Amino acid sequence: MTQPLIKITNLEGGYGDIKILNGVNIEVPEKSIVTIVGPNGAGKSTIMKAIYGIARVTAGSATIMREGKEINILATKPYNLSKIGIGYVPQIENIFVAMTIDENLDVGYIPETGKSLEELKESMYVRYPDLVSRKKDRAGQLSGGQRQMLALARALMSAPDVLLLDEPSAGLAPALVDQLFDELVRINNSGVTILMVEQNARRALEISTYGYVLDMGKNRHEGAGADLAVDPAIVGIYFGKRNQG
Amino acid sequence: MAEFIQLLFNGLVEGSIFGIAALGISLVYSVLRLVNFAAGDFLTLSAFTTYFFSVDLHMPLVIAVLISVVIGVVISLFLEFLIWRRLRKSGAGMLALFLVATGVAFVLRQSIALTFGSNSRKFNIDQIKTFEFLGAQIAQAQLVVLCCASIAITSIAIFIKKSVIGKNMRAYSDSPSLAAVSGINVQRVIIATWCISGAFGALAGVFQGTVQGQFTSGMGLDLLLSILAAVVLGTIGDAYGALIGGFVLGIVMELSTWSAFFGGIPSTYKPVVAFSVLVIVLLFKPEGIFGVKARRI
Repeated sequence: MTQPLIKITNLEGGYGDIKILNGVNIEVPEKSIVTIVGPNGAGKSTIMKAIYGIARVTAGSATIMREGKEINILATKPYNLSKIGIGYVPQIENIFVAMTIDENLDVGYIPETGKSLEELKESMYVRYPDLVSRKKDRAGQLSGGQRQMLALARALMSAPDVLLLDEPSAGLAPALVDQLFDELVRINNSGVTILMVEQNARRALEISTYGYVLDMGKNRHEGAGADLAVDPAIVGIYFGKRNQG
Repeated sequence: MAEFIQLLFNGLVEGSIFGIAALGISLVYSVLRLVNFAAGDFLTLSAFTTYFFSVDLHMPLVIAVLISVVIGVVISLFLEFLIWRRLRKSGAGMLALFLVATGVAFVLRQSIALTFGSNSRKFNIDQIKTFEFLGAQIAQAQLVVLCCASIAITSIAIFIKKSVIGKNMRAYSDSPSLAAVSGINVQRVIIATWCISGAFGALAGVFQGTVQGQFTSGMGLDLLLSILAAVVLGTIGDAYGALIGGFVLGIVMELSTWSAFFGGIPSTYKPVVAFSVLVIVLLFKPEGIFGVKARRI
């Protein structure tokens, strides 16, 4: 494997005195989709929160390759992560409900993209035409599927080349889940590397280049996404019957 | 009729001052979850500093007001770095913040009294000059205050609605956790909030000192109740609501003294009207006149 775009090495940390991550290693190659799965409490989301300074990091490192140089993600201020090309869609509270759809996109924009605000907004409305007629509505009035599209659009407004997604399919109706994963593939095809954490493990792994199974805050298994998705041992132990559909 | 016009105009003037002061409080609450009880004394401070620069040091009034606005901003930022930031880091709750804000109010008020004494002051402006409008007597000072306040209100409303910082402030108030992970520099938002609150508190103080004619070190505290009533009336944390709440309250307080209205109440009881409005709103419509239960600016 060539030098990965994002490399997380022996990451340890948690919240306050509670340790959740006990040495996690993740590599995300450029233009890939990498999914982290695992049972509840395995620490999947904590990895993302550690990157954004919400969870405490006690050991380990996380770096991103930029123009041949490794940049320390953990030492970068959370509000500067979008400037080094990282976008993030949290699981809950991922849109500004009291602001309009248009304003949500405004807030996601940063001048460092090199494109104008109007240009980027226009491309989002082309991508998500459902949002056009609702530009002036408050984001809180959107349906679940539209919310998730807006959340993606908001994160894409900073023109990231890496997107971190925390359980993007959580709370979506089954039909919308398919739509969402199709959309993630489309975003990935446009050149955006995706690192996601998912409960809907099988479906997520099917579209993933590579997958990691996390347990008790540690790497347990890893492999190509398509292989992990059908691996009977893993399906049985970690995904449960609920997610096999 | 002339009396009605007169009271309506007085109400507009007073309401614009309430609105400006309420906006600062509401903005600080929406962004920092802090009810700034010291806001009233910021009004007093700017009235006194304006007096000091314009009367004692013979500077032009406009310059004195500008310096006072700068002082208001600087002290607000000083307190942010000295007190509020540390309290937030230590995870202080609403009650702790409330107690500290009350303490800050006491220190500020007594410092003003110590520095400037307890005598009442008066700006060096023509209080006598009036115009007649539909039978009502409109003082030049009132007119100037209303114009300046309207400009300030319009500019801040546009700023919050359209500017990048304004949008970031609304985003942060909507969801601090999402704002922090979507490229918004939270510290900058907080600093902008204190700047606006400090500047608007200072303006409100000068305006109130002008309209009132004479003022003492208790001026801000006397006004605080009415300002808080305007904040609650306009939905706490809603900046536009605070402006409207201010106007509604100002007009209601003035009209309550109208003789055609059950003979009108004596004007010394106007604060009772503010207090009644506060109690009624809290009892029957605690989410404020806009009735939106979700928080917004």
